[in-house]
Amino acid sequence: MPDEELLEEGVLNPIKPEIQDPLLQELLGEQQAATPQEQPQPVPEQFDEVDCVVIGTGAGGAPLLARLAMAGLKVVALEAGPRHDARRDFATDEKAQEFLFWNDERLSAGRTPTSFGNNNSGTGVGGSTLHYTAYTPRAQPDDLLLRTEFGIGQDWPLSYADLEPYYDELEQLLGISGPAAYPWGPPRRQSYPLGPLPLNGAAQLMQRACQQLGIRTSPAANAALSARYYQEGIGWREACTNRGFCQAGCSVGAKASMDVTFIPLAEAYGAEVRAEAFVTEIERDAQGRVTGVVYEQHGQQMQQRCRALFLCAGAIETPRLLLLNELALSSGHVGRNFMAHPGMQVWGTFEEEVRPYKGIPGALISEDTHRPANANFAGGYLLQSIGVMPVTFANQVARGRGLWGAALHDYMRQYNHVAGINILGECLPHDENYLELATEKDSRGLPKPRVHFSYHDNELRLSEHAERTMRQIWETAGARDIWAFQRSAHVIGTCRMGRSGDDAVVDADGRAFDVPNLYICDNSVFPSALSVNPALTIMALSLRTADRFLEKQRRLDA
Amino acid sequence: MNTTPHYPPGTVRALLDTEHVSDATREALQRRLAAGTEPYQTQFFEPEAYALLEAVCARLLHQPNAPANVIDVARCVDERLALGHADGWRYDALPPDREAYRLALGGLRQTAQAQYGRDFLQLTPAEQDAVLQAVQAGTASGAIWQELNGPLFFEELLAETISLYYSHPLAQEEIGYVGMADLPAWTRIGLNDREEREPQATTQPTQ
Ligand SMILES: Cc1cc2nc3c(=O)[nH]c(=O)nc-3n(C[C@H](O)[C@H](O)[C@H](O)COP(=O)(O)OP(=O)(O)OC[C@H]3O[C@@H](n4cnc5c(N)ncnc54)[C@H](O)[C@@H]3O)c2cc1C
Ligand code: SF4
Repeated sequence: MPDEELLEEGVLNPIKPEIQDPLLQELLGEQQAATPQEQPQPVPEQFDEVDCVVIGTGAGGAPLLARLAMAGLKVVALEAGPRHDARRDFATDEKAQEFLFWNDERLSAGRTPTSFGNNNSGTGVGGSTLHYTAYTPRAQPDDLLLRTEFGIGQDWPLSYADLEPYYDELEQLLGISGPAAYPWGPPRRQSYPLGPLPLNGAAQLMQRACQQLGIRTSPAANAALSARYYQEGIGWREACTNRGFCQAGCSVGAKASMDVTFIPLAEAYGAEVRAEAFVTEIERDAQGRVTGVVYEQHGQQMQQRCRALFLCAGAIETPRLLLLNELALSSGHVGRNFMAHPGMQVWGTFEEEVRPYKGIPGALISEDTHRPANANFAGGYLLQSIGVMPVTFANQVARGRGLWGAALHDYMRQYNHVAGINILGECLPHDENYLELATEKDSRGLPKPRVHFSYHDNELRLSEHAERTMRQIWETAGARDIWAFQRSAHVIGTCRMGRSGDDAVVDADGRAFDVPNLYICDNSVFPSALSVNPALTIMALSLRTADRFLEKQRRLDA
Repeated sequence: MNTTPHYPPGTVRALLDTEHVSDATREALQRRLAAGTEPYQTQFFEPEAYALLEAVCARLLHQPNAPANVIDVARCVDERLALGHADGWRYDALPPDREAYRLALGGLRQTAQAQYGRDFLQLTPAEQDAVLQAVQAGTASGAIWQELNGPLFFEELLAETISLYYSHPLAQEEIGYVGMADLPAWTRIGLNDREEREPQATTQPTQ
């Protein structure tokens, strides 16, 4: 068991945090050393040049790392967070697991500021997949054609047919559990490799009510094993034990996070993963091609040269790195088009015992609202039942209901009778919603990212529609004390892909228009938000990006 | 009639000694149970400001069995601010956490003076609640609240203290949570499905 305090402090903030408070700065006076930037930089340690460096090992970085290694390339992944032995070290305790989150402070601005940390940003070998809920629906074909369908938003520069083979491949490799016949989307060429996970209390309540209301539901597709599963290069993984803790890390290995799937696969083929390696600089030659990166590891500066760079640091750190390094900025779209899914949750209290800590949290889904009839907004949303851990729930009660004192305690005592539903809905890009570098510095002396996010008409109308639907479901299920928690989830779109470098940062292959040997693959490249959870599509893009890159290499070699 | 479930005390401590809890989980929870039993020397706040923070926490978190069962949330806030830890984000409209906490505690003093002509610590519990309600609603008087966004700060304060409270095994026991005892696999997970090791509630009418 790692010392939680040590991990919290040591891993993410190896340097003494810079004091921001002017008063405190004055008080502490000479105790405060110069900022790290002002200290003379030691000469970085160097390694031999490799074919590819991959920054970040989450949903975007890990699959392509494996693919490139399997093609025989010499690849190194640099991951800011630590490597864990989940089976031994992960506690079934939210607070002890806080080390999984990207806890460096980001500034949330706008009229509907979005929260980071445990709401959407992880760190460690495996990235945010260490704490994703493992819902893995596919995008539907029309998700990629929003502008064609509605005249607003953005089309993707690739189609469902481009993604489909990768969805097929991923579902088999990850061992996705799902229903024999999934009711939405185009007919599937292959069924899910494993049957669905069992429904917990919240899912049963939602299923019951939806049936009465004529809303179709289905057991969800989950990247968690309903039975033991074997994959070449990965080995056996154990079945889900229904411990309901996906969002704070799976100690069983049942959840298909990258640390138990693509990372071991990549390493089996010779990839090297360097943990606790925080990249700060991207180096270039006179022609503007990337030549390597500089990173900090255990307080030391290191350099790694490479022939191609894959930037997969997530939709906040990727544009932040590009802005810090003034790289690939000619489109003016780095950091712009920031989107987050409207993710409203509706909670109710039931006579029945729910005990919401048991079972995979995301057990039941409905995509009947993918394109609701008579909607006054573009796009649509999906509905999911949710299980919830106690601290996460308490936090939402504090923020959403503002309860305290005896009222809070009485409400929290209902915890075992509480069930929730949430949505994930389309979000349109807007000029007002963007990421910039703030003047305030973080513990490394680097400018903090500031993210502006305000809902506009489309998100507001969609949320209203969804709130009505969810309240109706919970009323039908017999809930009392129903309340809605307005929140947004996932960070999307800050280095979007497109057909031209005029309004996009990368092309459909993930290659930067400005820099021929720089590839980006993570949630930042999505041109539109999609009305489904993003991880499976990020992984599909990751494999595709690797394949397109390898194809180009082969053509060059031929 | 609505009823409030109550769960038997001692459940979590008893479970911690069994094989239902993994080593990593047991270690984390026992450390938290042991913390706060020895006297605490503040690291970030001046003693006076700390006393004020403790008084605020006492109003936000209703601990009917205090002091025996007091879960020391103020101490955790003090430790965090001393270490400079963050949780990944902050409202841009608020100053950095340390500054926000200092300002807000000063603001509470100002509001108490403006509303009652006394120090916050000298107010009755009901008066203290009125001051806190004014901050939460954005109607608190005092110059500091012109500078610091009261409702946003209150939300942050509430989220931090409540999360700390419900991180404690005894607070989790209070609400019938025994998710820490997840070995072997839960098999009875549907509605009204109780596993042998899960406590049964006795219900009492809502006060
Ligand atoms: C609580 C929660 C539940 C979720 N549930 C679901 C779900 O059910 N289904 C779903 O599809 N999605 C879900 N998600 C979202 C999903 O986890 C993310 O969309 C996905 O992991 C994003 O992948 P990414 O590659 O963009 O970034 P990440 O997975 O975040 O990976 C980025 C990696 O880059 C590293 N990094 C960043 N900066 C640097 C640097 N400078 N140097 C070195 N390394 C760096 C980070 O440490 C991190 O490991 C959930 C997320 C959360 C937080
Ligand atoms: S519910 Fe299943 S997949 Fe999720 S953390 Fe628990 S064992 Fe792992």
